[in-house]
Amino acid sequence: MPDTALSLRDAAIGYDRKLVFEDLSLSVPEGRVTAFCGPNGCGKSTALKAMRRLLPLQAGAVELRGRPIAGWSPRDLARELAMLSQSPEAPVEITVEELAFMGRYAHRRALSGRKRSDRAAVTAALTAVDMADLAHRPIGALSGGQLQRAWLAMVIAQEAPVILLDEPTNHLDVAHALETLALVRHLSHEMGKTVVVVLHDLNLAARFADAITFFRAGRIAAEGPVAEVFRPEIIGEVFGIACEVRPDGPDGRPFVLPLHRATAGAH
Amino acid sequence: MSRAAPMALLVAALIALAIAAVGLGSTPIPPERVIAALLGWGERTDQIVVWNLRLPRVALAACAGAALALSGALLQRTTRNPLASPSILGITDGAALGVLVFLFAFSDEANLLQVPVVWQPLFAAGGAALFALAVTLLAGRDRGDPMRLILYGVTLAALAHAAVVLMMIVGPVYRSGQALVWLAGAVHQAEWRDAAIVAAALMAALPLLVRLAGPLDQLRLDGASAFATGLPVEAVRATALVLSVALAAAAVSVAGGIGFVGLVAPHAARLLFGSAAARELPAAALLGAGMVLGADLLVRAAFQPIEVPAGAVTALIGAPYFLFLLTRMGRLNA
Repeated sequence: MPDTALSLRDAAIGYDRKLVFEDLSLSVPEGRVTAFCGPNGCGKSTALKAMRRLLPLQAGAVELRGRPIAGWSPRDLARELAMLSQSPEAPVEITVEELAFMGRYAHRRALSGRKRSDRAAVTAALTAVDMADLAHRPIGALSGGQLQRAWLAMVIAQEAPVILLDEPTNHLDVAHALETLALVRHLSHEMGKTVVVVLHDLNLAARFADAITFFRAGRIAAEGPVAEVFRPEIIGEVFGIACEVRPDGPDGRPFVLPLHRATAGAH
Repeated sequence: MSRAAPMALLVAALIALAIAAVGLGSTPIPPERVIAALLGWGERTDQIVVWNLRLPRVALAACAGAALALSGALLQRTTRNPLASPSILGITDGAALGVLVFLFAFSDEANLLQVPVVWQPLFAAGGAALFALAVTLLAGRDRGDPMRLILYGVTLAALAHAAVVLMMIVGPVYRSGQALVWLAGAVHQAEWRDAAIVAAALMAALPLLVRLAGPLDQLRLDGASAFATGLPVEAVRATALVLSVALAAAAVSVAGGIGFVGLVAPHAARLLFGSAAARELPAAALLGAGMVLGADLLVRAAFQPIEVPAGAVTALIGAPYFLFLLTRMGRLNA
C-alpha cells in the first residue's frame, strides 16, 4: 500500500449552517491518481475545496502527510498543494506564459522579479502541456482544450507535490477530455505527483485513475483501487442505477454500461 | 521596456498641461514666463501669481485626479469588476455626506467653523468608510456578483445623495452655497493646504502600493485560484479596499465630488499599458491627474469669468462612458 499523501479526518464541512458532511474521513494515496466520483450534489467538489482550505472545516482536520494544515500560511500551503478550480478566471489579454508565471507566486519574494528557477519551472510546465509554441498568445485567443492546458501549465509551474483538479474535463469534448486526462496520468506516473481529480464520467475515471472514492449524499460509499471498487453493486448503489461492468475496456481497464434507473418498489 | 516611452510621453503631456493651466487666468501668462517663475526666476509679480494663486489649484487638481484614479484602479482590482469606482460604489457620496455633517455640525450662527478645517478630511473618510463598508457587507452576501455590487453601490450613493440634498435645503444658506459648489467638484478655491492634504495621502499610499503590486497582479485571478497559488486573498483585498477608501476620501474632502475619474482613468491606463499593476497604477494616476487638470482648464477657458466646477466636465465625459460599459457588459452576459 502506498503512503497517505493527504487526508480528511472526522471533518464537518458545509456552507453557512447547512453541513454537507457531518463526519468525513478519507485518505489519498501518495503518487497516484485518485478520482472523486458520485452523483450531482454528493459533495465531491465540496470535499476537494475543504482539502485545499477553500472552505473552512466546522470540525476535524485536513492532514498533509499526517500534519494538520489548519495554521499554515497561504504561501506554505501553496508550495505543497496546488488546485485548479472548476471555472478559473483570468483577464483575457494575459498570455499563456504570464498565466504560467502566476503559478510561481508562492515561490517568489515580495518585490523580486522572475528568478531563473521561475523561468525553468514555467518552461517545463509549458512543455509538459505542449503549449511552448503558444507561450505568447493571449488566453482569450485559445480554444477550449488549449485554455485548459494553459491552466494546467499554471498548476504544474507551482511545483507542488499534490495537485487537486475540480472537474478539469467539464467544458471539453471527448477528444480534449482524453488528452487532458492522459496529461493528468502523466503528471502522476512520470512526474511523481499525487493527483486528486473530480470526474463526472465513470469510464474516464476507471481508465485514468488508480483509485476511486465514491461519494453519495454526504458520506463515502467506497474507496480503494479501481479493481476493488469499480463493481456493479457499488456503482449501482451510488448512482441509483442498474448497470453492468465489463472488464475489457481500453488500456485493460474496466468500463461500465449503465442500463436503466433503478426503480424503488413496484408500480 | 518598450512601454517606457509612452509613460514618459504621458509625464511630458501632464507637465505641459500643468504649465498651460498655470498660465491661464484673468491675466494670462505665456509658458516661458510660467516656467521661469516656477524655477524661481522671472518677475516678482509672476512668481506671486504663479506660486500663490495659480499653482495650488493646479497641484490640487492633479493630486485629486491621481488619488481618485488610484482609488478606482484598486476598487476595480479588488472587486474584479470593471464598473467599480469610488463614485459608483457610493464612496464619493458617503464622503460628501461626512463633509456636510462636519460643516453643519461645527458651524456657529455666524457661519464660522468652531473646529480646525483640517478635521474635514477625517469626516469625509468616515463617511466614505461607512458607505464602503455597507456596500461590501451587502455585496458579500451574494459572493461577488458584479452587477449586484454595482446596484448596491448606486443605491447607497442615491441614499447618501438624498441625505446631502436634505441637509442643504434645511441647513444654513451660506453653508449650503459653499457645499453646492464643493459637491460638484471644484478646485478653484484651492489653497496650498488643500493640495498638501491630498499629496500627503498619495505619499503615504506610495510604499503600500509598491508592496501591493505583486499581490494585486495575482488578484487578477479569481479568488479561489489566487488563494490556491499562495495569495492571502482576504488580507490583500482588505488592504487595497482601505487604501482605496482613504485615497478617495482625501481627494473628495478637499476637491469635492469629482465623478468618474476613478472609472475612466484605470480603463484608459489598462488600454494603453496592459493590466500589470506596476504599469497600470502609475499610468492611471497620471491619466487621472491629467483628466482633472484638463477638465479644470476646459471650464476656465470656456466659461470664464464664471467658475464652473471641474467635476461637471468629468461627469459629462464619464457618465456616457459608464453607460457604454453597462450596455457592453449586458451583451456579454446575454
